[in-house]
Amino acid sequence: MAIDHRVKTPVLQVEDLAISYETRKGDVPAVRDVSLEIQRGEAHSLVGESGCGKSTVAFGLVNFLGRNGKIVNGKILFQGQDLVGRSQEELRQIRGDQISMVYQDPMQALNPSMRLGDQMSEVLTIHRNMPRAKAEEKCIAMLERVYMPDPENVMRRYPHQISGGQQQRVVIGMALLNGPALLIMDEPTTALDVTVEAAVLDLIADLQRDFDTAIMYISHNLGVVARVSSKVGVMYAGEIVEQASVEDVYLSPYHPYTQGLMRCVPRLGMDKKSSFLYPIRGRVPSPANLPPGCIFEPRCDYARDQCRLKKPELRQITVRHWARCHFAEEIAEQVWTPPEGLVAELATRAQQAEAPEMILKVDNAKTYYKAPSKKLIGGEKQYVKAVDDVSFTVKKGETLGIVGESGCGKSTLVKTIIGMEEPTGGQFEFMGLDISRPVAKRNLSIIQELQMVFQNPDSTLNPSFTVGVQIGRPLKRFKTVPNHQVRDEVIRLLGMMKLGERYYDRLPRQLSGGEKQRVGIARAIAGQPELVLCDEPVSALDVSVQAAVLNLLMEIQQEMGTTMIFIAHDLSVVRFFCDHIAVMYLGQIAEIGPAEAIYAPPYHPYTEALLSAVPIPDPSVEQKHIRLSGSVPSALHPPSGCRFHTRCPRRAEMLPDGGRICEEQVPPWQHDSDRHRIFCHIPLEKLRQMEAVVTTGDQD
Amino acid sequence: MLVEDYMTRHPLMARPTMPIVEAQRFMGKNNIRHLPIVGDGKRLLGLVTRQTLLVDPGRLGSLDLWDITRTLTKLKVKDVMIKAKDVVSIDQDATLEQAARLMVEHKIGCLPVLEDEIVIGIITETDLLAHLMEMMAARQPGVRVTLRQPNVRGELAKLVGVIAAQGWGIRALGGAPHPKDPNEWVVVVKLREMPREQVIAALGTIEGQEIVDVRDA
Amino acid sequence: MATEEATVGVPVLKPSRWQKTKDSLSILWSSKIAVVGLIIVLFWVFAAIFAPVVTRYEPNVEDAQARNQGPSAAHWLGTDHKGRDLWSRVAYGGQIVLIKWPITEKFWIPGGVAIWGVFLSVLIGATLGLLSGYYVGWTDDIVMRFLDAMMAFPTILLYLIIIAAVGASATNVVIAITIAGIPGVARLVRSLTLDIRTRDYVAAAQTRGESGLRMMYVEILPNARGPVMIDAMLRVGYAIFSLGTLGFLGLGLPPPNPDWGGMVQAGHEHIFTNPWAVIWPTLAISTLVVGLSLLADGLREESLRYQ
Repeated sequence: MAIDHRVKTPVLQVEDLAISYETRKGDVPAVRDVSLEIQRGEAHSLVGESGCGKSTVAFGLVNFLGRNGKIVNGKILFQGQDLVGRSQEELRQIRGDQISMVYQDPMQALNPSMRLGDQMSEVLTIHRNMPRAKAEEKCIAMLERVYMPDPENVMRRYPHQISGGQQQRVVIGMALLNGPALLIMDEPTTALDVTVEAAVLDLIADLQRDFDTAIMYISHNLGVVARVSSKVGVMYAGEIVEQASVEDVYLSPYHPYTQGLMRCVPRLGMDKKSSFLYPIRGRVPSPANLPPGCIFEPRCDYARDQCRLKKPELRQITVRHWARCHFAEEIAEQVWTPPEGLVAELATRAQQAEAPEMILKVDNAKTYYKAPSKKLIGGEKQYVKAVDDVSFTVKKGETLGIVGESGCGKSTLVKTIIGMEEPTGGQFEFMGLDISRPVAKRNLSIIQELQMVFQNPDSTLNPSFTVGVQIGRPLKRFKTVPNHQVRDEVIRLLGMMKLGERYYDRLPRQLSGGEKQRVGIARAIAGQPELVLCDEPVSALDVSVQAAVLNLLMEIQQEMGTTMIFIAHDLSVVRFFCDHIAVMYLGQIAEIGPAEAIYAPPYHPYTEALLSAVPIPDPSVEQKHIRLSGSVPSALHPPSGCRFHTRCPRRAEMLPDGGRICEEQVPPWQHDSDRHRIFCHIPLEKLRQMEAVVTTGDQD
Repeated sequence: MLVEDYMTRHPLMARPTMPIVEAQRFMGKNNIRHLPIVGDGKRLLGLVTRQTLLVDPGRLGSLDLWDITRTLTKLKVKDVMIKAKDVVSIDQDATLEQAARLMVEHKIGCLPVLEDEIVIGIITETDLLAHLMEMMAARQPGVRVTLRQPNVRGELAKLVGVIAAQGWGIRALGGAPHPKDPNEWVVVVKLREMPREQVIAALGTIEGQEIVDVRDA
Repeated sequence: MATEEATVGVPVLKPSRWQKTKDSLSILWSSKIAVVGLIIVLFWVFAAIFAPVVTRYEPNVEDAQARNQGPSAAHWLGTDHKGRDLWSRVAYGGQIVLIKWPITEKFWIPGGVAIWGVFLSVLIGATLGLLSGYYVGWTDDIVMRFLDAMMAFPTILLYLIIIAAVGASATNVVIAITIAGIPGVARLVRSLTLDIRTRDYVAAAQTRGESGLRMMYVEILPNARGPVMIDAMLRVGYAIFSLGTLGFLGLGLPPPNPDWGGMVQAGHEHIFTNPWAVIWPTLAISTLVVGLSLLADGLREESLRYQ
């Protein structure tokens, strides 16, 4: 279909947009000099780390800036008409019909007290004055379009009665009901599980084709952006520093910041022994305190005098590639070498001659929660089988990764090991001692050897006490050092975390996310524990900060010989960091083995699906497209036989009788090698014949 | 080949309160000749074209210079637009031929595509021309043969059969009654690039059919 | 070292006490509402503290010549039906509320009745709330039911019962205020505790095997202090209000000690001839309560900014 003759006016054209926030201390220029354009049917992403201003741009487009935000400069041409300076009423008219927005949290768009059918119909009855019956018909049609099972039923339900992924589908459907010309999506899949996210991303691509909608996609996840968009704008501290097609930005970035980002992202092909993650040194400047000249200059490896003095413009480097750098062409030529001291020299890990001792042995672990029974009196006792018959061992000095989606039981397992949950059954042996009792009943010496790093940097530290006091507490409690040496030891630990002495007296609210997480790690290792459990320690951090923290954890492990259990939902991080990996599904281990073994066939079908769902930040990589239908079943009534059988895409083709056996019998453990086992009925030979999920373009 | 496949979705539109001066600038800057005027929910209220923006002199005849300027600047598109009930529109699952027919019959260059009075797209003569171009494979090089044949069943099949027997692929095929003689049918076929003699040799011998024109296109 | 700033060899100074105080007070200044409230409250505090200095008459001195007079140069706010200067009665009346707690005739503790009452109720209420919120289960059920029973009494009724039982004196009023305030504070602290205990730093403390006492008072309570302090301020307002009511009902301090509620009670018989005797103490009560509310509101607004 020829499109040369079509209207060339972009759906959205932003020119030199600048947005500032009024604060007590004056105007803070949060967004400066942003220009972009999006045509019909195009998907343009804004990618950047937290605080870069990408969400501010989106809110600025629809005038949701809040009381103290204002557009100080620039034009926003939507369908040729400038939105800046319009009255509220005019904006409302334009917005309602033609611009829709989807947020990260579907519950921000859904009214919890209204039925879904009512809410969806409202979009049509109010904007288009459509009669109710007709609106409902259209809503049902749209629900089918977004692959909701059983749409008529869903119309009658309330938002809390459907899963997160389904809620997001409903929200996307609602956003498209009016046929908007522009759809703005602000991290719509960040809160979803990997497999659900993959399905939602497919949906978005699908709908975009059919509706020819222009999409502005905002995300910090480089992998998702690579999958969803055709053009990318990289934002840093309120400015666009690079803008080009997806392939160009990922494969040949010109701006040093983009290059730095690409180096920080763990890719599925990497592993700990062969490569490093190079964090970007320094810290994002606060918008109130920008460097004169190039805003990236303090952190740039190529900075020269000119960079400090003169602000670079966003200029065109090649036909469709813009970068904000004075020396972009020269930089591209050079080969980057890591500066001194950025990453500590990691000695190649020699294989130990004798098998290292076993430090943790878990056998048939079970942790059930009592679910409130439905009847008032009597009635059958129901249990949420959060962890159901899990067995594994961890050797000293190893890192075990546990991967799985929400509801798989990984958090519960870790909490049981550390004693915050009481196990319902099974044996737990740590350093030769039994630890099946809750932490309150354990020996102090055992407690000292088993510590934890938490996920959320904002709640991991007590807001009322300084950093020094909080790191000092475990030192005092476990009497690691005599009292008069506590301060020195704290400062030493801070040094290990690459934080200076002046952090001793700071309060948590004065620290950034990455810094708080480092303090949390320092606190956990203060007592020099043998085993550290890390519950998604980097999930809430920006990409470049993630890299720094992961490197830090590796250094600690090397220096102190700590054993670690690392929970994550990001398969690429786990691959990079862990020696062994366990994949969990609905309370059980589906596959466990050395890292390389997990990422190559034979796979458990669930592992295969997980790997094909992970968005990879590399457009040149080929990835199989396996999607799971349905959602994770409830742990109250897990499916019979193999718990994965309700969603397994492989059982029908690889087993006789369409995989009947999966419904009836619990699968056996199949041993692919000494430490690699798969929990599946499908015979190993067939599993070995599966193709690898991820293949790079230049695979040897 | 329905309207929905070729229309432009999310066309540029305007509110009835837009002044005509602004509308004129808007249309010029964005290079469009037709501007749908919509209300809430993208409901079609009217249509403005370059022509309708030319204000009827009769309206201004009795005014002096300053009044003319003032009137012109105060005029909104709703005062000059073609009202919705007079606008010829089309459904998205209508065929392209139906769209073409409407355009020819009403001598108009564009049709808003409506669904229950809501504007969901616009289809212009240029869209149809683009479609014609595609249908006739105008962008692919090849040999273009025009033949005359009796307007009788089986003639076209004969032609296609001969082409198939040669093992050639058909890149485009179109036909219509001869403008001057309803008993005759004119067919245009586009084949891949090949020497003209080869084509003439193969197709020139079909009984009752005559090659009118052969060219590289 | 890949740190943000050079740290080797730079002497580190701890922020001084003065600096820290200034930082906390900066919250105060940034809210206009809080500042207005603070001004009003401070006005009454100073009036009460410096009552002997800013008034020209003793509060209980009667002047038969000057009965029921309106405001004049001699008596700034007028006089009551016994000829006592209203301004000095109002100023001295503030003392018992804000400044003094007379344990016996001669001996008093600094800090007014309202303030002590609220302070003690926060002390006891917070402990109950922490226990309830942290241990949940049976402890929670028992404590809450007990408090529910207490809350079932309308506040004034509770005051009346206590005062009627043990007699009207400043100490008994303090006890009454304390008891009346405990359930509210306990509820507040309980809900804060229930929320805070889900935080990771509490879990981190648990993984260190810290004792329950430490968890409650070191990990949880300091992070609840914001809302609790603001609530306490409001409670002082309610307490003052209740004192006024008690005074009006004749259950406050026995006359002739000035007590705003009592002043209203005494003056209301003559309200048509001399409304001033009623207006000034009423205004005193209401402005002080409003001032405290504004202060509390302003602080709450500001503290929420950092959430």
